[in-house]
Amino acid sequence: MPGYERAEVSAELTVVPSEHAGKPPREQIETAKTAAGETGLAREAGPETLVLAGSRREVLEATVEVIEASLDAGARAVELKVEAEGESGRFGGGG
Amino acid sequence: MMRAETVPATPTRERPEAPVTRPGRIGESTTRADGVPKVTGEFEYSSDLSMDGMLWGATLRSPHPHANIWSVDTSEAEAMPGVFAVLTHEDVPGRKVYGMEIPDQPVLAWERIRYGGEPVAVVAADHPETARLALEKISVEYEVLDPLTDAQEAMKEDAPKLHLSGNVLRHVRIDHGNVAKASAEADVVVTGEYEVGMQDQAFLGPESGLAVPDGEGGVDLYISTQWLHVDRDQVAESLGLPPEMVRLTLSGVGGAFGGREDLSMQVHACLLALHTERPVKMVYNREESFYGHVHRHPAKMSYEHGATKSGELVYVKARFVLDGGAYASSSMAVCLNAATFACGPYKVPNAEVESYLAYTNNPPCGAMRGFGAVQACFGHESQMDKLAEALGMDPVELRVKNAIEPGDRFPFGQEVPPPAPVVEILERVKAMPMPEEKEVMGRDLRELPGGVSNTTHGEGVRRGVGYAVSFKNIGFSAGFDDYSTARVILSIEDGEPLVRVHTAAAEVGQGLVTLQAQIARTELGVERVAVLQADTRVGSAGSTSASRQSYVTGGAVKKACEAVRERLFERVREELGEDSGDLSVENGDVVSGGEVVLPLSEVLDEEIEETVEYRHKPTYPPDENGQGDVHVQFAFSAHRAVVEVDVELGLVRVVELATAQDVGKAMNPQALEGQIEGGVAQGLGLALLEEIQIKDGRIQNASFTDYLLPTTLDMPSVKMDILELADPEAPYGLKGVGEPPTISSTPAIVAALRDATGRELPRVPVKPEQIVGIAKKPPDAPPQPGSAGYAELGRLDERREQ
Repeated sequence: MPGYERAEVSAELTVVPSEHAGKPPREQIETAKTAAGETGLAREAGPETLVLAGSRREVLEATVEVIEASLDAGARAVELKVEAEGESGRFGGGG
Repeated sequence: MMRAETVPATPTRERPEAPVTRPGRIGESTTRADGVPKVTGEFEYSSDLSMDGMLWGATLRSPHPHANIWSVDTSEAEAMPGVFAVLTHEDVPGRKVYGMEIPDQPVLAWERIRYGGEPVAVVAADHPETARLALEKISVEYEVLDPLTDAQEAMKEDAPKLHLSGNVLRHVRIDHGNVAKASAEADVVVTGEYEVGMQDQAFLGPESGLAVPDGEGGVDLYISTQWLHVDRDQVAESLGLPPEMVRLTLSGVGGAFGGREDLSMQVHACLLALHTERPVKMVYNREESFYGHVHRHPAKMSYEHGATKSGELVYVKARFVLDGGAYASSSMAVCLNAATFACGPYKVPNAEVESYLAYTNNPPCGAMRGFGAVQACFGHESQMDKLAEALGMDPVELRVKNAIEPGDRFPFGQEVPPPAPVVEILERVKAMPMPEEKEVMGRDLRELPGGVSNTTHGEGVRRGVGYAVSFKNIGFSAGFDDYSTARVILSIEDGEPLVRVHTAAAEVGQGLVTLQAQIARTELGVERVAVLQADTRVGSAGSTSASRQSYVTGGAVKKACEAVRERLFERVREELGEDSGDLSVENGDVVSGGEVVLPLSEVLDEEIEETVEYRHKPTYPPDENGQGDVHVQFAFSAHRAVVEVDVELGLVRVVELATAQDVGKAMNPQALEGQIEGGVAQGLGLALLEEIQIKDGRIQNASFTDYLLPTTLDMPSVKMDILELADPEAPYGLKGVGEPPTISSTPAIVAALRDATGRELPRVPVKPEQIVGIAKKPPDAPPQPGSAGYAELGRLDERREQ
């Protein structure tokens, strides 16, 4: 029963680690996840993927923090998808 | 991942004809069309589905409640003859997580296990036994971690984080009035600590379904579920497909009670079907079913009630800690519900409620009949009995004195809408005749606790009586866009008028198909009605949960019928002129002024079809103080339990349960009685029997041998007093009826046990050892002869005097 106020915005971040950074790939991802966890908005969505969900401002600010932590850890790229939940069309919208 | 070497022609599955019925009108008892086939074993449940060329799916599950996965080797399983696919998280092409509120649950675990039984890999093979053997050939390297199994421990700052942002999933606070000031003014204060165990929905039909690839990259899924469209949307996201390429059809559902609101094998079966390009069937066995669905949240509750000397409530303080298990499911909403129902249906001028929901490594918890109100009701009703005792008042009198009324405000700020007959149902249930109390000695054994086990001939048997009252929200709350869609077609078939009704609403055994037919019969005046199989070809009906389908889908069918009727009358007016009077349809004819003006067959040369959406009035999320118009409708019920207890052995016979419930309108009285009896049985189960036993995160009783359910021998007769006080905002004035019987039956039974034994009994289910006073909770290990356990127990005659 999804009867609660849904997050305004979610950001899905997929960390692409570098084989040539100082830290091993797994550690780069862990660094990103730790940074995401500290924002209080995060959940895991795959081995290299995490999602931040909350109000628009807090998600966008948290996204920058996670991207910075990922790059500092040596990640080669961070793929990003930002979605407004109100427009997502999930949960039974339409036939 | 492996692909099938031989790809058969695109399989198809014929859509069965919807049976044509002749239902009664609204308010008449109507026999359900699926009743006889279910009793005779001819009904096709989702576990009975079959297709030529079908493969069997099976799931590899973690034996550990908390672990890291270091590697998964599927090569040996893939090499087995008869195995067509072995899939892991790497084969999930879309979103690798799902969840109704928060997508946090892996379709297949990738590196972390968070509960015992979590899926790691799936297999498709040409025989179920081959699939099972293949699971044994999958090698998973785990690093076993200590499980975090106590929700209160999980909330501590230094607890290991089970999810990235910590273990507290939600905290709701309700701040109403001024408790600090009020607590100084209370003459009498009672406190209590209460606990509710993890109850299972215990539906008889295990999770099952059949996925059929369409040969064009899409898939059809035949499934037993509570909400086709949310399943579809989640499956499509994980398959990386647009929703229109995933089509779901409801198959025979063997009970639900909330346990089918989340996904189980839906994505797995579709993944396997698309990989193998063959139909794939999955059916959980009974043990696996316990791992395959969510359960009722275990709760620990602290309460403080303050009242005047004359018994008026002055304030309530409540704190809930709910164990959400490993993943979110619908825990966010359960946490809110527990908070909003914490104080009961009473006038409470000051309240402080804290409701916390924490992740643990226990099995995930989510929706179950009563949805947060069950736990709260056990807490507030136990407190009302304790307060009555402290005040020297009759427990019903205390409840009546404080009963909430229309126009009052709940502690969460919402005005109480009419009807809210708390006083009336309490007085009615109290006024019902008490069951005869036969002389206990010399009775037929079947009328004694322990029954034919021959444990007593009447000695040590005491009778007790208890009361409880509850309320429950009907429909989705807190701002959710709650609606249903109905398509209605009026035509002439085989020379007679026929109404076809099509919705996506899940019939899970509650009788919704019959109800839809009754509404169509009533609104369109046509005897023959066919309710089409529910599927995603029509818009969402929302979930079969929150006791909402009669209201919301019933409302949609009514509205669609009204639209069809209006178009029909437009045709009649075109034919007969605008002055054709007040038109109606009776027995297949259009009638005006009591006379037939046209037979339907003359107006329906072309069928009339309308599809409509129906919404109830909006709700709103609570503000930071837990205040707001959170819910749409409230249903009330009261129960009286009469029990007989063997106070030496702790065995119980529930002699009778009596209930008064406001239903707004008894749409199908026979089905209503069934709902009430079934709900009461589930409440009795929680009071006395039903609990998933978990030790170190592992389920100990995943079978219907060890998970105790009430049988017909445990169920007493149920006396019912049905009130039909119309809700002016609801279709036909109806109220949802499915959940209330479950909610207050449990505390009524426990109150009766307290009356019989004099014991506090702060935890459900109440076990025999608590009734005889061995311990408030079951011991970690059973006492042995000569052990400290027995020494502590003392002699039986000494225990009697405690």
